[in-house]
Amino acid sequence: MIKVKILLMTLLVVLRCGISLFAQTPSDAIMMKKKQACVLVEYNHGRFDQYWEGSVLRKNRTIATVKRNTVMPMVAIGVFNKLNLYVALPYISTASSENNGGRFAGVSGLQDLSLAIKYQFLNKETTKGSFSALGTIGFSTPASTYLPDYMPYSLGLGAPELSYRAITQYKLKNGLYLRAAAAYLWRGYAKAEREYYYNNGSFYTPWMDVPNALTVDAAVGLWAMSNSLQIELSYFGSKSTSGDDIRIYNAPQPTNKIEIGRLGIFGHYYFSKLQGLGVIAYHNQVVNGRNAPKINTTGAGLTYVFNYLKK
Amino acid sequence: MRFIKYSLLTLTAAIGLFSCEKELPTFLSFESYAFANKDTNVGNWKPILLTSATEISIPPPSTVTSEAYQNELMFVKKEMATMSNAERQSVNYWSDNPAIRWNEIALELIAKYNLIPGPNADGTYTLPNANKPVGPPAFPFANPPYAVRALAYLSVAQFDGLVSAWHYKYAYNRSAPFKQTSDITYAYIDNNVPSYPSDGAVIATASRKILTAMFPLEAEYLAAKEKEHLRSLLLSGGNVQSDIDAGRQIAETVAAKALARATNDGMKNAQASKAISDSLAEAAFQRFGWKWENVEIPQRPVGLVPLFGKVRTWNLPSVELTRPAPPPAIGSAEYLADVKILQNYANNVTADTRRIANFWQDGTNTYTPPGHWNEFAKEFIVKYQLSPLRSVRTFAYLNMAMMDAGISCWDTKYYYHYPRPIQTIKGFKTIAGTPNFPAYTSGHSVFSAAGAEVLAYIFPNEASIVRDWAKEAAMSRVYGGIHWTFDASAGTKQGIDVAQYTVNVAKKDGAE
Repeated sequence: MIKVKILLMTLLVVLRCGISLFAQTPSDAIMMKKKQACVLVEYNHGRFDQYWEGSVLRKNRTIATVKRNTVMPMVAIGVFNKLNLYVALPYISTASSENNGGRFAGVSGLQDLSLAIKYQFLNKETTKGSFSALGTIGFSTPASTYLPDYMPYSLGLGAPELSYRAITQYKLKNGLYLRAAAAYLWRGYAKAEREYYYNNGSFYTPWMDVPNALTVDAAVGLWAMSNSLQIELSYFGSKSTSGDDIRIYNAPQPTNKIEIGRLGIFGHYYFSKLQGLGVIAYHNQVVNGRNAPKINTTGAGLTYVFNYLKK
Repeated sequence: MRFIKYSLLTLTAAIGLFSCEKELPTFLSFESYAFANKDTNVGNWKPILLTSATEISIPPPSTVTSEAYQNELMFVKKEMATMSNAERQSVNYWSDNPAIRWNEIALELIAKYNLIPGPNADGTYTLPNANKPVGPPAFPFANPPYAVRALAYLSVAQFDGLVSAWHYKYAYNRSAPFKQTSDITYAYIDNNVPSYPSDGAVIATASRKILTAMFPLEAEYLAAKEKEHLRSLLLSGGNVQSDIDAGRQIAETVAAKALARATNDGMKNAQASKAISDSLAEAAFQRFGWKWENVEIPQRPVGLVPLFGKVRTWNLPSVELTRPAPPPAIGSAEYLADVKILQNYANNVTADTRRIANFWQDGTNTYTPPGHWNEFAKEFIVKYQLSPLRSVRTFAYLNMAMMDAGISCWDTKYYYHYPRPIQTIKGFKTIAGTPNFPAYTSGHSVFSAAGAEVLAYIFPNEASIVRDWAKEAAMSRVYGGIHWTFDASAGTKQGIDVAQYTVNVAKKDGAE
């Protein structure tokens, strides 16, 4: 029964200023059936008190501990059995812990609206299990006038993004699965509110070229308790294909070359007595990086699956 | 399936649209133009550091019929015939008004070096050291006072050099290579300016020398720029080698003169010791009952250049002449009213106040507020088609006025030593970074008002807009939460006052 599983959007993307943000790119191998929809509402809290300036991990008491709270509603719709559509729109609020030397105001607001379609190209059943291959194309764009050039508090990168993701999964009959995915993220330009910035040279424009990125992720997971519990361990890596380093003791900016490696644990439980309802919980930790925060993120949410059309 | 196809098609189209990467401008692109002023007789102009246009003498040029000159001409022809594409681009880039390029190079180095040193692991701070420029931290920290000073010396050397060069051009009146033979095509519009000595060479060498002294770690980079620029002069068809050599001779002398002044202008003492810094704070506390304190963690022991107010001015006779009256006492009704205003802006950031705070912020890793005003000057220079001579005159008065403004402002800052809003308003948060020096008066306000006054004098059609900009720049600091309204208003008036001394000198320099 592959009912419910759509949800899980892996927390993909990373952010600049490096805050990891869940750009919810649908990057798992789960498909919703035609006429089914799933609603997710999640909350997560991320925080960091260290970041990589270039490749050097440092603290900075000007910003002290930066906290990032996110509430994200998301909808996943089974358009066809092999084609799912996703829409998500996070609300984020950021701030430093009180004892900081910079006294900068945090910000809050809607971040990026993201849309994605996922198509299952292949789903081959064998005696031992099943192999599936999927592709996702996603698009996201800022949903408010947040300022990307206000790192590390900025809500996001402030640039449109197109993502192309390939996903494969091998799942055994006993519920164990392995998943691997890779993506290319094309990013447009972020607009600052200044006419000049330095990016290894002068730029006389408010437009900042946000580097494109490559990402990989790998997961091992298990469906247990008669498919009512999914647990997963994952590694996610992301690397900008260009960009500059954060300059010494200076703020990050959208042009930075960002790399991160992140480990995560995730669980999704479906209540057997409450038809369609589930809960998710996860934690992940950035373990290595470049021009990125060493952020810890913990989240929890509710999922609800229903038929939006009569079968 | 059709849905899928359409979706894919749509996305493919979107990719096509978004994937065309834009060229982001890294310098001002402009076509060569007819100079608005010919200035064929500048022998009576008053330069800044030179006593007169003729203080530096250069040998008379060889005649155009001489064998020496004909050989030089042949050489230009030969080199132009084998120009590479990169060299062609280089000729186009440097243009026939290359002070613009060297100003951009200066702004780039300012931005590159405008990084405030962070704390060491033990909580101490190490400051850049001119005697050991490699650091860390690298020398210099190109903060606004450092930046405006670098720009002032750069522009003054360029101006004095071109007054001298422009005089000799018409005194010797040797026409450019492209006028001698139809085999040579000039890369720019013909402005009928004699080519000996080369004004481009004056700019190239004087700029390289001044900027190398200001940014010693960039010696190699600047030497490469100078070399490329000098070669472009030849390849443009506008200069033979002896034009270039004579220009360089003027540049060497004029740059040495500017640097001699810089060495002894007091800047090397501006970053005072903690003892001196503490005594300034204590003096203000005794006099007024308040003192500014840095609230960073760890605390910076000394503010930025406490003795910049003692640096030698260009045209302002004394800083006391433009020092404003004291700001409101902490706790007074006027002060409390300002607290309310600031809290109101902080609690109600609008699209406009945020945009203005960011547009004028010009903080670390940027060209600073004086750099921003040089950027405006550059655009007006092209818009009003100023000649190279008039361009460097604009930069020189602009930057002298802004350096004097900075000196006057810094005198005021450390005389009154007035706290920043984050120091005295409990729990106050800002959308701009609070700088490491006292609040009253606002540096942005003083720099901007002074810059606007000089630009208003030189470009009278732009007077009202540049003055509006200066007021907006002043208010931007209030919107940013890092200045009181009286820092801005008193600072604007102070900048206007300081600039008058420079504008008065400009009015009498013979150019009008």
